[in-house]
Amino acid sequence: METPRRLLCVCLIAAGMAAAAAAAPAERCDDATFLRRASLDLIGRQPTPAEIDAFAADQDPAKRSATVDRLLADPAWATTWARYFRDVILYRRTDDRAALMSRPLEEYLTERLAADARWDEIARGFITAAGSPAEHGETAIIMAQMGETSDIAAEVSRIFLGIQIQCAQCHNHFTDRWKRTEFHEFAAFFPRIAIRRADGLGPERFEVVSHDFEPRARKGRRKPPVDNPRRGDLEHEMPDLEDPSRPGSVMQPRFFLTGQSLPLGTSDLERRGAIADWITADDNTWFSRALVNRLWAELVGAGFYRGIDDIGPDREVESPAILDDLAMAFVASGHDLRALFRTIMTGDAYQRAARSRSSPDRAGFAANCPQRLRSDQIFTQVLAAVGVDESRLVGPGGQPRRGAGLPPEMRDNPPEEMPAGGRRQFNVPRAMFSQVFGYDPSLPREEIVGSIPQALLLMNSQPLARAIDGDRRFTALGRLLAEERDDREVVAQLYLRSLARRPTPDEVATCLDHVRTSPSRADGFEDVFWALINSAEFVNRN
Amino acid sequence: MRPRLCRRDLLRLLSAGAAGALGWGDVAAAHAAHLRKRGKACILLWMNGGPSQFETFSPLEGHANGGETKAIATNVAGIRIAEHWPEMAKVADRLAIVRSMTSKEGSHPRATYLMHTGYLPNPSARHPTLGSIVASQLAARDGGETADLPPVVRIGGRGRGDSGAGLLGMQWDPFELRAATQNPANTRPQVEPKRHLERLALMERLEGGFAARLPEEAADHKSLYRRATRMILSPDMQAFDLDAEPAEVREEYGAGDFAAGCLLARRLVEHGVSFVEVVANGWDTHDDNFSRVAKLAGQVDRPCAALLRDLDRRGMLADTLVIWMGEFGRSPRVNPRAGRDHFPRSFNAVLAGGGVQGGRVIGRTDAAGVEVVDRPVTVPDLFATFCRSMTIDPTVENMAPTGRPIRLVDGGEAVEALF
Repeated sequence: METPRRLLCVCLIAAGMAAAAAAAPAERCDDATFLRRASLDLIGRQPTPAEIDAFAADQDPAKRSATVDRLLADPAWATTWARYFRDVILYRRTDDRAALMSRPLEEYLTERLAADARWDEIARGFITAAGSPAEHGETAIIMAQMGETSDIAAEVSRIFLGIQIQCAQCHNHFTDRWKRTEFHEFAAFFPRIAIRRADGLGPERFEVVSHDFEPRARKGRRKPPVDNPRRGDLEHEMPDLEDPSRPGSVMQPRFFLTGQSLPLGTSDLERRGAIADWITADDNTWFSRALVNRLWAELVGAGFYRGIDDIGPDREVESPAILDDLAMAFVASGHDLRALFRTIMTGDAYQRAARSRSSPDRAGFAANCPQRLRSDQIFTQVLAAVGVDESRLVGPGGQPRRGAGLPPEMRDNPPEEMPAGGRRQFNVPRAMFSQVFGYDPSLPREEIVGSIPQALLLMNSQPLARAIDGDRRFTALGRLLAEERDDREVVAQLYLRSLARRPTPDEVATCLDHVRTSPSRADGFEDVFWALINSAEFVNRN
Repeated sequence: MRPRLCRRDLLRLLSAGAAGALGWGDVAAAHAAHLRKRGKACILLWMNGGPSQFETFSPLEGHANGGETKAIATNVAGIRIAEHWPEMAKVADRLAIVRSMTSKEGSHPRATYLMHTGYLPNPSARHPTLGSIVASQLAARDGGETADLPPVVRIGGRGRGDSGAGLLGMQWDPFELRAATQNPANTRPQVEPKRHLERLALMERLEGGFAARLPEEAADHKSLYRRATRMILSPDMQAFDLDAEPAEVREEYGAGDFAAGCLLARRLVEHGVSFVEVVANGWDTHDDNFSRVAKLAGQVDRPCAALLRDLDRRGMLADTLVIWMGEFGRSPRVNPRAGRDHFPRSFNAVLAGGGVQGGRVIGRTDAAGVEVVDRPVTVPDLFATFCRSMTIDPTVENMAPTGRPIRLVDGGEAVEALF
């Protein structure tokens, strides 16, 4: 455990510096807030009432870091972050058929993260991917862009370097140093990727292959895509801006950050192997900074840069010393993801109380920043609050069980062209829920606001109304009301279930007051439960 | 039958002071101003799959590529359309038929995105769909005022594939309705309206501690719940109730999901919705093109014509642009399975209302129906034309998350001959 400890030291120093820069850092958050925050961040769910009580009773001063370790060891950590990176990739798909990749990608990432794959290994897997998307989730970036050379280049740079190099696709960058030729030299690492389409309808009908031999598109079978009319050639060409119908200039593969290059004629897998090496190299600080910035933004609530995936040498950066220290430590750890989570989450900046996103006294990481929960987190949380097991919602083969009682919009059909086998992954309640609650995790968080269909679902969905019915003995509330005669304790249990904390005396009084004036005890507590599930606190992690 | 709030209930609630005392009365009372000054609006009739131009509004007479489809005369001398559209033939004086649409995108998802946003898909920016552009621009002109109902509604679509509000933000995302005949999801409180308002009030009281710590997040949440509540308690919700429509009007639109969608579109526009998309599926006729299109036209022809007449009768057509189109056209050559394949090089679209002069044809192709030989209309040209009709400035720029400005329409010139 040499490395993590080293990382921890770096972070404590770093956090101290941040504190010095900020005017008035927020106090350390209370235990309940910490436990809910860390549980949602690491394993995608709230702590259970038993976990909350155990944590509160624990007298160990090091209990927070022990909890981080326990949560990092939980299998749900891999699932939670696999889903996160699935969204990072698939929300930018330019072809809806790539939605078919959702499940293979999630499974692939879960398996890799659970097996402690290093971040550089994961990146290499995506960059050099080949084979059937059904079996190789790592083909997702290529599939999401349906093999388009320029779009794959743009996504590889955005996801793994945090550099939006594609802005230089048509002209030299306005604000950054990148030249148009540099984008196309970078794209020249990817022109030989081809997607073979077989008959059939599921993800198995596609295959990502290398296209290393002439001629293919010359036979005129395939319509050349508009943005790169000469795709199918073995080399990437930069289009002539004056006259796009003329042949462009053939580009030699060259990496804009280091100047490393390959000769024309290099095979597809050699090209992609080389750029994977160069991107993930220990001395490429943008590779480590991109991930550190992303995770810091997710965990502390705001990144070192304004954009979560728009960093680079020409972008304004806050607290660069902390960023650099963390990035160096991340490299030194061998790009160990769990160590990076541990480092950030055991630091002061993470553990501070939250302040509103645009509040000026949040500057310099003086406070944690509340995050709107992702669809997967909210879905898990709704089920946990009402005491329904997800496996009961899903029958064998991923089909929702009859009577699982989904809200109508959760029965939404997936996009056209989805075969029965492919559709199945969209019909699971969790995926359907994400059609209402999902968002692109790379977007600036201030843009992620709730939508009316989300509010309507939590307010009025019939299955949810049934699940909080206090008159039914098989609901969580029904059982609670039958077993617990003390109304104060019922209030406390509802708070623990929905908000993972105990109510304040004022809140208890308000609830009891409401119950007293309600036509029945069951009705009164239904209203309380409803109000908690619909509260801002429920859908935010603070 | 679940409880349903009508205007009468609301007034009773308000007079009883229940809602008012609980702080949610202003939400319900806000309906006094519910009538957004009915201005411009747009209805997109989306032919999903790529409708054949030859079997719709660009029949090819005197050439083998025309296949077995015959043309019929319309109420405008010199304009002939395919035989499957007898009702549209009777309203051709309101139609502007563009026979020279041209694009290069022949894949369904990419072309669908292109024809909804005016842009090709690109991972660095989610371009807003036409409905979100129209609704947000009209709202900006009205000083940010929108109706109680969602400003953009899509009927019969299949999820988000067709793109949403993108960089304009979630409040301009289309409100999705699976079918016109089905109530919009979750818009009826599961409890009595009075209790619903009490619950909201309780929620707000319990939110006090959170709001003290995180005022901004609490305020956003409150505003969202107010908008959602304003919508579901609005008398405008009756727009969704097609049963309220007189039998003869329903009869005029005809039967089927698409017909119901067209009728609902008119009702929604009447109640202040800025943009409605109605989707008709099934136009991807790679085989058996002729009988399949005949059947599809049988479901689409009558409601389209009824919608135009109805809007006209109500004096709404001048301000409401109606667009009939799909993602591309179909190949002039008939394939061995009597089908037509994807063909973006030349296809058609039909416009009516919204200041567009009817009874005209724009552009033409060569005799074989392959190349556009007169007034090619590109996708940006078409979008600029939509903007011209809606009196929206197509050069307005929005910021992509990367800080790159993106114009509403990527160049292009409105087809002036349409106005």
